Amino acid sequence: MKKIVSLLLALVMFAGVFAFTNTASAEEPVTLKIWFHGSNVSPEASKKVLDELNVYLNEKIGAKLDVIWGTWGDFDTAVVTALAGGDNVDMYFTCNWSADEYNKYARDGYWVKLDDLLPQYGADLLATIPEGIWECAKTNGYDGMGIYAVPALKDTATQNCWDVNGTLLAELGYDVDAICAKGLDYYSPEFEEMLQKAKDLKASQGVNDFYPLCVEPMVLERLVNVTSIVTGDLGSGNVLSYYYDKEHPAKDIGSKIVNKFSTPEFEKYAARTYELAQKGFISPSIQNVATSNDYRTACQNSGEYLISTQSYAYGCEIDFSKARGIDVRMVPASAPYMDSTSGQGAMMAISTVSKNPEKALQFLNLLNTDPYVMTTLNYGLEGFTFNKNADGTITWIEENRATYSPWRNGMGNVRILPPTADEGVNYWKDFAEYYNSAEALPYGSFIFDSSEVETEGAAIANVFAEYAFGLCSGATDPAAVLAEFLQKLEAAGINEFVAAANEQLAKYAG
Amino acid sequence: MKNKRSRQGDASLAPNWFQRNKKVLALLTMVSPTAIWLLLLRYLPIGGIVLAFKSYKIFPRDPTFWNNLIHSKWVGLKNFEFIFKTDQALVAIRNTILYNIVFIILGAIIPVAFAIMMNEFTKKFVAKAYQTMMFFPYFLSWVVVSYFLNAFIDAQYGVLPAAQAAAGKDVISWYTTTKPWPLIIIFANLWKNVGYSTVLYLAAITGIDASQYEAAAIDGASKWQQIRYVTLPHLRTMISILLILNVGKIFAADFGLFYNVPMQSGALFPVTQVIDTYIYRVFITTGNISQSSAAGLLQNVIGFVCIMLANAVVKRIDPESTLF
Amino acid sequence: MRKNHRLNQISVGTETIFHVIVGLFSICCIIPFIFVIVISFTAESSIREIGYSFIPRAWSTGTYTYAIQRLPQIWRSYFNSILITVIGTALSTLMCALYSYALFRPDFKYRGFFTFFSFFTMIFGGGLVPTYVICTQVLGLRENYAALIVPLLVSPFNIIIMRTFFKSSVPLELIEAATIDGSGEYSTFFMVVLPIAKPGLATIALLNALAYWNDWYLSLLYIKQNKVLQPLQALLMELQNNVEYLNRMSAALGSSAIQEAMRAPTQTLRMVLVVLIVIPIACAYPFFQRYIVSGLTIGSVKG
Repeated sequence: MKKIVSLLLALVMFAGVFAFTNTASAEEPVTLKIWFHGSNVSPEASKKVLDELNVYLNEKIGAKLDVIWGTWGDFDTAVVTALAGGDNVDMYFTCNWSADEYNKYARDGYWVKLDDLLPQYGADLLATIPEGIWECAKTNGYDGMGIYAVPALKDTATQNCWDVNGTLLAELGYDVDAICAKGLDYYSPEFEEMLQKAKDLKASQGVNDFYPLCVEPMVLERLVNVTSIVTGDLGSGNVLSYYYDKEHPAKDIGSKIVNKFSTPEFEKYAARTYELAQKGFISPSIQNVATSNDYRTACQNSGEYLISTQSYAYGCEIDFSKARGIDVRMVPASAPYMDSTSGQGAMMAISTVSKNPEKALQFLNLLNTDPYVMTTLNYGLEGFTFNKNADGTITWIEENRATYSPWRNGMGNVRILPPTADEGVNYWKDFAEYYNSAEALPYGSFIFDSSEVETEGAAIANVFAEYAFGLCSGATDPAAVLAEFLQKLEAAGINEFVAAANEQLAKYAG
Repeated sequence: MKNKRSRQGDASLAPNWFQRNKKVLALLTMVSPTAIWLLLLRYLPIGGIVLAFKSYKIFPRDPTFWNNLIHSKWVGLKNFEFIFKTDQALVAIRNTILYNIVFIILGAIIPVAFAIMMNEFTKKFVAKAYQTMMFFPYFLSWVVVSYFLNAFIDAQYGVLPAAQAAAGKDVISWYTTTKPWPLIIIFANLWKNVGYSTVLYLAAITGIDASQYEAAAIDGASKWQQIRYVTLPHLRTMISILLILNVGKIFAADFGLFYNVPMQSGALFPVTQVIDTYIYRVFITTGNISQSSAAGLLQNVIGFVCIMLANAVVKRIDPESTLF
Repeated sequence: MRKNHRLNQISVGTETIFHVIVGLFSICCIIPFIFVIVISFTAESSIREIGYSFIPRAWSTGTYTYAIQRLPQIWRSYFNSILITVIGTALSTLMCALYSYALFRPDFKYRGFFTFFSFFTMIFGGGLVPTYVICTQVLGLRENYAALIVPLLVSPFNIIIMRTFFKSSVPLELIEAATIDGSGEYSTFFMVVLPIAKPGLATIALLNALAYWNDWYLSLLYIKQNKVLQPLQALLMELQNNVEYLNRMSAALGSSAIQEAMRAPTQTLRMVLVVLIVIPIACAYPFFQRYIVSGLTIGSVKG
């Protein structure tokens, strides 16, 4: 018993130490700690760049920056633990597809609400980012409806495209330009004929396991059925669909949120995909969750495919053509659209732990509006990682750029960066034009809060994992399993889940 | 800890007491480094258990972890609900328990048998070579193992489907046929863990005093009798301790094995879904640390009860071989 | 000659059967590793054409070049791993032996309490986040070597195993005799008990060494900025995850990510990383094994 008493005493003692260390850190000068993702930055290069940037920042806003160069390798567990544990970090990268999901974390009180601070500390920023993007950033957080993070002005629209191997298509005797202009119809006999011809051609060259349809199954489903992701759907996959108009995404076609697997469109899609797979157009490796990505990328990179899927990013066909050594064509399946899924693709949030949220916002203001700050943090220093050309473009100094390459899209307004020589002088102008042309979906900035139906969501996630991939990739016959799948989804509570989403949508629409 | 020692320091003024307690004091200094470690790194954070009964939210006014924890709402047993919500979960629980029973039984018999066999090899270097080889699985992650297995059974490239096709037989689609998987899972588990346990038993055998075998041999005991009357009794404690510890893991499964080796194939869920994979799929969906704490706590409580029961049973049979 | 040798042995036939059983299993254990080595030298093009195979169509050392070039820090990380493993193993093994020795002593008054004290933590814990908070905010375990060593110092499982080793190999009479001879507790422990318990000690040391060598999680949690301290396994895991992530998400991440993803030899990288991490520890293995297997068959040889 005495031992236990002394243990308790020790506990109290350490709790005291804990309380002490906790308050002690408040007295430091204004250093802003920020956590980026996807970076590949060496400590030496980081020091060199930040030393110079901090002089400038100190002059401008009286702060200096301390960066955690997170990589893709550590961004899930490490960030979530640091956030839950209340680490002393001022700003985090967040978005609606990462583990520190923007909307959930806003709800749970992790991010500072910015609405009141923005006019005073981020006026330029407020003006720079278009109203439509701010609209997408609005979410129902712990402190009411509002903006809880600064959205990055980058590729802010979604467009699903067929990725076509133009070189192979020409070899088959097709008029590539004409086909691309006309578009592809998944259900047409011509589509199948194309695949068959490609398979025959390869077989005649002695390649017996050529699979012309090299797709990402979940993307293919959205592409063919013209549906969008509902922000706030299950984190592990999408069970909800929202149908939009192919040519004019902004047009209200009276859509509701639906359980995507229960629609006739899905049944038709699954049957067609299964049929194509049975005919040997889809590789078994694509149908295996674990090997699907590796195999698809390997085939794409080596040009061993005819038709693939791609969620389009501006200019990617040029990068792909160069890298794959073939003529890559992007054939739009629908017009580009904007919704909160694309609008929340990359954001910077200020943590409620931050002692200096105003300074942090001042910094984000600069990052998005001051080309020097953005260029230095994103590209490095002139003469170190790049040289300026006469026409305003830049050329990399490759060996130093390799030690300092943050993820370009993960910081903020990339449109104030100088274009690289490869991209050409007009790159950002064209980039902005393309993305600004995107129409917003009706109720596109709607965000589903599934926390009320979390138990249902948990059960649905496991049913989803059991069936969805097989059906979307054509591995399983919908005639045999679709009914069983739907019945299990119902048992797991999909109807309550969908109803909750529609109820919120109705409230949102007013 | 400090308190305790200073108290005893005062007492040492009386030389008799100190003399009398010298042994205990020495032993206490032996346990203290580890005890302090346990106190700091295990007992101090243990308050986190209440997470399982709360809905974890940040307390934005002063968001330190403990503040968040204190101000988060109590939700009772709501975080546990999802574990029992569907048939899916029940299948996962059934699979976990059935596999574990098999693992416990085979995991006790095979390593002991291997250790004894290896002990009888005339050429010592052969035993060493075998034992080294058996340790390699320990270095390979389940992801790597899954690719190895895939090389044999992959529908497109695999050796076995190719052989079946060449022989004109029906080609099995391995990743959608449930039948062979319980065997594959059991073998994979043995493959990974036998080397590890065999080392423990081998070391225990090595610790046996050689004179005992000599004495037995002089008494005319055959080799088999020596195994039966010298080796096995020596291993008894180790066997029962490992058995008790494994029983404690009956409600938990090796996540990597069940998640990666079947390559997450949905069609195999009826025989590969276990509690840990079920919880993982929930966690990546909801990102709710309270739910995952709840699931972890439930697994621990059940494990604790099972260990206590197993320990009590062993105590009846052989009081020397218990955990405590 | 042969016959004399077999005096205290099982029959040749039985031994052959034993060899077949244990040998087959051992081969099963080593084959996947050979497979890993083969794949690590396989050209990516071969994998695309015929899949993972023991007999690739084309060989390549390109992935090794890629890994070493992408990891300028690799040699420093080797050093970190060795440092952490050596210090960590020595400390944790010593602490484990001391603690479990006390638990093994039936005349230790608080034996029951301390047994339960450690056992309880094997089952129940506060979870990841509370532990993280204590380590970083109270104990200062962040951005330093201590953060990579301290959290793995104690394993209740090892304590129980070590106690069992003491129980089955150290006769209590020996300790009593030493005490009567006037030996202090510590000198009894170091001079009398430990030499007898060498096989057990070596086993625990081996388990600890493997735990330290294989660990990457501590680095993930506690080393975020001072990355020169990263141990090898953490460095390799980070590269692996990075490449996989880029591969999966490249389109969403923009054009620089696309180019990066193109360069990465995804399918062979995994295997190269395994080879890089396993070779050094496999070389250290015989050191531990000497103590674990050395006593084997002594009894029979003498017979």
